[in-house]
Amino acid sequence: MTNTLAKPTGNVSVDTSELSSAGLTRTRRNILSGIGEPVALLGALVVLIAIFSALNPRFATITNLQNVLNQASLPIIIGVGATLVILIGSIDLSVEGVMAASGVAFVLMSANTRGGQDMGIWAFIVPLALGIVLGAANGLIYTLLKVPSFIVTLGMWFIGFGIATILYGTDAYPELTNETLTQWAAKIELGLPNVFWLAAALVIVAALVLRYTRFGRAALAIGNNEDIARANGMPVRKHKVTTFIIAGALSGLAGILATMQMGGTSNHIGEGYLFLTLPAVVIGGTALSGGKGGVLRTFLGVILLTVLNNGLVLAGVSPNFQSALSGAILVVAIVAAAWSQRGRLRIAK
Amino acid sequence: MSLRKTFARATRVAGIAAAVSLFALAGCTSTAGGASSSQPLKKEDLVFVCSVINTTNPYFAANIEGCQSLGKKLGIPVEVVDSNGSSQTEISKIQAILAGGKKAVVFVNTVASSDAPTIVNAVKAAGGFVTIWWNKPDNLDPAEVGNNFVAFQKHSGIDSGKCTTEALSKAIGEKGGIIALPGVQDSTTSATRVAGLKEALATEFPNVELLDVRPSNWDPQLAYKNAKDLIAKYGDQIKGVWTADDGMQIGAMQAFSEAGLLDKVKFVSDGLYPPTIESMKKHEGNDAIVGETFHRGYMASAIGLYTAYLAAIGEIDPSTLPHEKRDSMFKISCVTPDNLDEFLKWDNDVDGWVDQLIEKGPWDTEPVPLVAGGPEVIKPEYK
Repeated sequence: MTNTLAKPTGNVSVDTSELSSAGLTRTRRNILSGIGEPVALLGALVVLIAIFSALNPRFATITNLQNVLNQASLPIIIGVGATLVILIGSIDLSVEGVMAASGVAFVLMSANTRGGQDMGIWAFIVPLALGIVLGAANGLIYTLLKVPSFIVTLGMWFIGFGIATILYGTDAYPELTNETLTQWAAKIELGLPNVFWLAAALVIVAALVLRYTRFGRAALAIGNNEDIARANGMPVRKHKVTTFIIAGALSGLAGILATMQMGGTSNHIGEGYLFLTLPAVVIGGTALSGGKGGVLRTFLGVILLTVLNNGLVLAGVSPNFQSALSGAILVVAIVAAAWSQRGRLRIAK
Repeated sequence: MSLRKTFARATRVAGIAAAVSLFALAGCTSTAGGASSSQPLKKEDLVFVCSVINTTNPYFAANIEGCQSLGKKLGIPVEVVDSNGSSQTEISKIQAILAGGKKAVVFVNTVASSDAPTIVNAVKAAGGFVTIWWNKPDNLDPAEVGNNFVAFQKHSGIDSGKCTTEALSKAIGEKGGIIALPGVQDSTTSATRVAGLKEALATEFPNVELLDVRPSNWDPQLAYKNAKDLIAKYGDQIKGVWTADDGMQIGAMQAFSEAGLLDKVKFVSDGLYPPTIESMKKHEGNDAIVGETFHRGYMASAIGLYTAYLAAIGEIDPSTLPHEKRDSMFKISCVTPDNLDEFLKWDNDVDGWVDQLIEKGPWDTEPVPLVAGGPEVIKPEYK
């Protein structure tokens, strides 16, 4: 890359036909490397599906497909936000705290077993706004006070959890009394669960935004080299804050959906989601150093992890071995998927 | 003097002060434990410490309710320790209260078994008295530690597992497949409940098949996911669902409800939490919940704290108590839809129950009298 941009010095004659042919080869290689990883990941997924189907015929049924997609939906929604944040070279650890705050706010503002008033549409708007506020706080503190995103969002995790704990109080576990809400997420429409359609729509929108809008290209540019992006007049701070706001809103949405899925909530509703989603983003091939990756890859990463866990249960693997076996299969799958790219992997030391 | 130098000096002074405090504490460790247990403490010098794993789980919230009710009756202030699920937080908060000057009478629902020795030693060093509930290592014997570790108390997990398994097996006609969702895999409480389940199946219900056991970490969402996977795996082979606590039962029931199977499958669990009572009262899912156990968080904490209090004021001498009053198991009752009403009266009058506790003592108050001594041993074949 550097060589093609370097200005020839002295009286060196340049064979332009050779250059253009080299450029073409490189372009082709870039395209291949761009799709190589997702294709290999897809291959790993297909192999896993084939093995699990052979071990238990019930694995490859429509019921189980609906089950897997239902389980994958929330990590996918959170993963969209996490991918955007990681693409700009930052990280958002506040997911579980934001989910807890939004989830508890949602249940308490809806018709629930603790009584109180059903706030209707506000029961959705306020928790989402809470996610946006916490996301904005992440972005503003990170960009204005120059505190690393790792630290800011870690703090915001506990602030979100604290808000949830205060809102929750010590009364009985609140359950939603409206069955339409509690059954919505898993309800099957056109063969798949509602919550999956929502997750898929968000992935498609995010993929289009990343590919075709200035905001998307700016995210990649900032992640690649922030200084160059800034030198080119890009409003880096604004982009970063917006990205954290989107991630906060999506975590808030996930808190609401998790509450609907469980039919109620406590301040622990978000537990486990962060460390399911972040590996999925990285497994998908989005570089932790930023600037490379995308939401479709994250989608594949989440599906791979969900299939793995589901498949091991259906294959009857003992819970004592499941954790270790799941880790081992994952390492093998990732090594296989990234084999062709190993020379170009951007390893964060 | 520059700000940096002032700060550096302040840091040094703080460091020396901390070191001196540590020496002082070490000195206390070697002497105060013995001295404190021989002299009864005055009521006005006491503070009740009520340490729970978190404050939002219904059981732990009830623990706090029991501590506060007893504190109010006896006129002793109560300090609540919210461990937030962390052993580190639990231990550091307890140590901070112990350093506060008053003599601590402590009830701890330990986050992990391994926390117990550190807490017991810290309370002993500060001259306080402690009762641990639910989790401790088997080799930590109150009698060996001394009077400051007044007692270890729990309800039998094996009895709980047998109780719920009997109700479930009878409800499904004593034949067919069931699945089990235990708590955290290395939790003694969960392991003993699972042992009770396996023992009841092996000895009383040989035609009931345990299709699968998936630990769900006391987490309703993990229970929901595991139940979804097991529904995909076994379908209508599943006639019954056994969970180690009501939180996980909520998740499992949601999964079966989504699959349209709630009225075809029976559920049992431990705890009789408020949402479970509501579900049973309104006969949800064709009376889906067929068995529960009755024991209460406020009863556990009040019994634990009252036992430690009696030792602190010299009303009992722990060293002269029989083994079962130092390492104790209290009664657990089996609840079915038929006898549910008998158990609802207690929750409406926590203060009244605490009055009875004070009148009858920690070992003889219904519905949770002392029934046996520990430790609870799991037979190898039911592990």
